[in-house]
Amino acid sequence: MSADSGGAPSAGGAPAPIDRRVRRMLLWYPPSWRARYGEEFAELLLADLADRPRCWRRPADLAGTGLRARLTAAGLAGHPLDPAAAARASLAAAACSAAAFGVFGGAMWAQLAIGVQWDVPPQQGITQALGLMSAALTLFALLAVLAAVGVLVAAVRMCRIGQGRRLARPAAMIAVSTLVLVLGGNHFANGWPGTGGDLLVHQGLIPGGIAAFGWATTLWVSSYWAHPAALAAFSAGEIAWMVASPAATAVLVTGAARLLRRIELSPAGLRYEIWLGRLAAASMLALLVGAGRWITLPALGDQMFHPGLIDVAGLAAMAVAAAAGGQALRRATAVARLADGTAG
Amino acid sequence: MSGSVRVVSAPAAVQSALDTLGRSSGPASLILSSLADGAKHGYALTKDIESFAGVRLAPGTLYEALSRLEAHGMIEALESHDRRRPYRLTAAGAAALATYLEAQRKVAEVGLRRLAQGLASA
Repeated sequence: MSADSGGAPSAGGAPAPIDRRVRRMLLWYPPSWRARYGEEFAELLLADLADRPRCWRRPADLAGTGLRARLTAAGLAGHPLDPAAAARASLAAAACSAAAFGVFGGAMWAQLAIGVQWDVPPQQGITQALGLMSAALTLFALLAVLAAVGVLVAAVRMCRIGQGRRLARPAAMIAVSTLVLVLGGNHFANGWPGTGGDLLVHQGLIPGGIAAFGWATTLWVSSYWAHPAALAAFSAGEIAWMVASPAATAVLVTGAARLLRRIELSPAGLRYEIWLGRLAAASMLALLVGAGRWITLPALGDQMFHPGLIDVAGLAAMAVAAAAGGQALRRATAVARLADGTAG
Repeated sequence: MSGSVRVVSAPAAVQSALDTLGRSSGPASLILSSLADGAKHGYALTKDIESFAGVRLAPGTLYEALSRLEAHGMIEALESHDRRRPYRLTAAGAAALATYLEAQRKVAEVGLRRLAQGLASA
C-alpha cells in the first residue's frame, strides 16, 4: 500500500483552512506538539470527522492524549523526540516544583520562626519541628545556590560563544523579580506590625531579621484572604505588597524555568544538577517531616503556635510539589541516560 | 498439561524497546504491522489497521503512538507534498516488529494447541 492510498475524503490538492472545530480540538495539545504534528493531525481529524461526525470517544481520546502530550512537554512524562530538550524541560519542571515547595515550606517555617521571636513555644515538639525545618531549609537554600552556580557557568559558556542573547530575557525577569522581592521583603519585614522592627532575637537560634524577611516575602500565603475584616487591619501598602509579592515570585519562577529550558548544559553539568536535585529531594522530605510533626501536635490552645487550615493546605501543597519534583527528576535522569546513549 | 505458559524469547534489547512504549505498545504493534508493506500517512494507517485488525484507532491514540515510535527511532517521517505526512518503518522498527510477532506467534501456537487438546479430552 503506498503513501497515497486511502486518502482522506476531505483532503484536496491545495491545503484547506482548518475549520474552527478542528482548531479547538488542537488546543488540547501543547504548542511544541502542534508545531511538529499540528498540520498532519488536523488533516486526520478532518477525515475522522467526515467518517464519524458523532463519536463520543473522540473528545475523551483528544483530552487524554493531549494531557499526556502536555505532561511530556512539561518534562513530567513521556518519551521525547529531542532528549536534550526533554532533559532541560524536566529540570525546569523540577525547579518549578522545588520553588512551589520552597514558598509553602518557607511560609510555614517563617510563621513558626516569627512566633518564637515573641514567645516561648509551649511544647517541646514545636521546637523540634522548627529545628528540623530550619536545618532542611538551610540545606535546601544551599543546594539552590549550588544549582544556580552550575547554571551560571553554563550561561557564561554560552555567552562566550555568542549565544547569550537567548538568555537575556529570562535573566532580566530573574533579576527584576529578585530585586523586587529583596527590597519589598526588607521593607515590609521592618514595617509589618507583627515584627515591628524590634524583634526579640535572643529567643531562638534563628536570626530575627531572616525570620521577618521570610515572613514578609511569604505574607501572601495567608488565610487572611478569606477574612476581609482581618485583612482590613492591614495598610493599603501591605495589601499591595501581598498582591505584588506573589506576582514577583511567579515572574522569578517563570524566568528561572525559561532560563533552564534555554540553557545548554553539558552532560556533566546535567548530571551535577540531577545530583543536587536528589539532595534537594532529601531536604524536602526532612522539611515535610518537620512540618508534619508541628501540624500533628495536640492543640494546647496557644494561638501563636496553633496550626490552621492554611497550614494543612500548605502541607498538602508541599507534598504535591515534592511528588511532582521527584517525577521530573526521575524523568531527567532517564532522559540524561538516553542522551548519553545517543551521544555514544 | 502445565498450568502456566512462559513464552518470552525475544532478545532483551528489542523486547524492551516495545515495552517502553507503555500504553502505546498495542497501537504501536498495529502501526508497525501496517507500515511493514510501505509508507503511509495517518488516515491511510487508520483505514489499513481497521481493515486487517478490526480496530479503529482514534486520532489522538494514533498520533501518541506515532510520536513515541518516532522518538524510539522505529519509524521516520517522510517529506510530504501536502499536509498528510507519511511515515515508514526503520530497520530498528522492522527488527522490533519481527521479534514481537515471533513471540506472539509462539503464544498463539501454544494456546491453540492446548485449546485443541483441551477440547479433545473434554
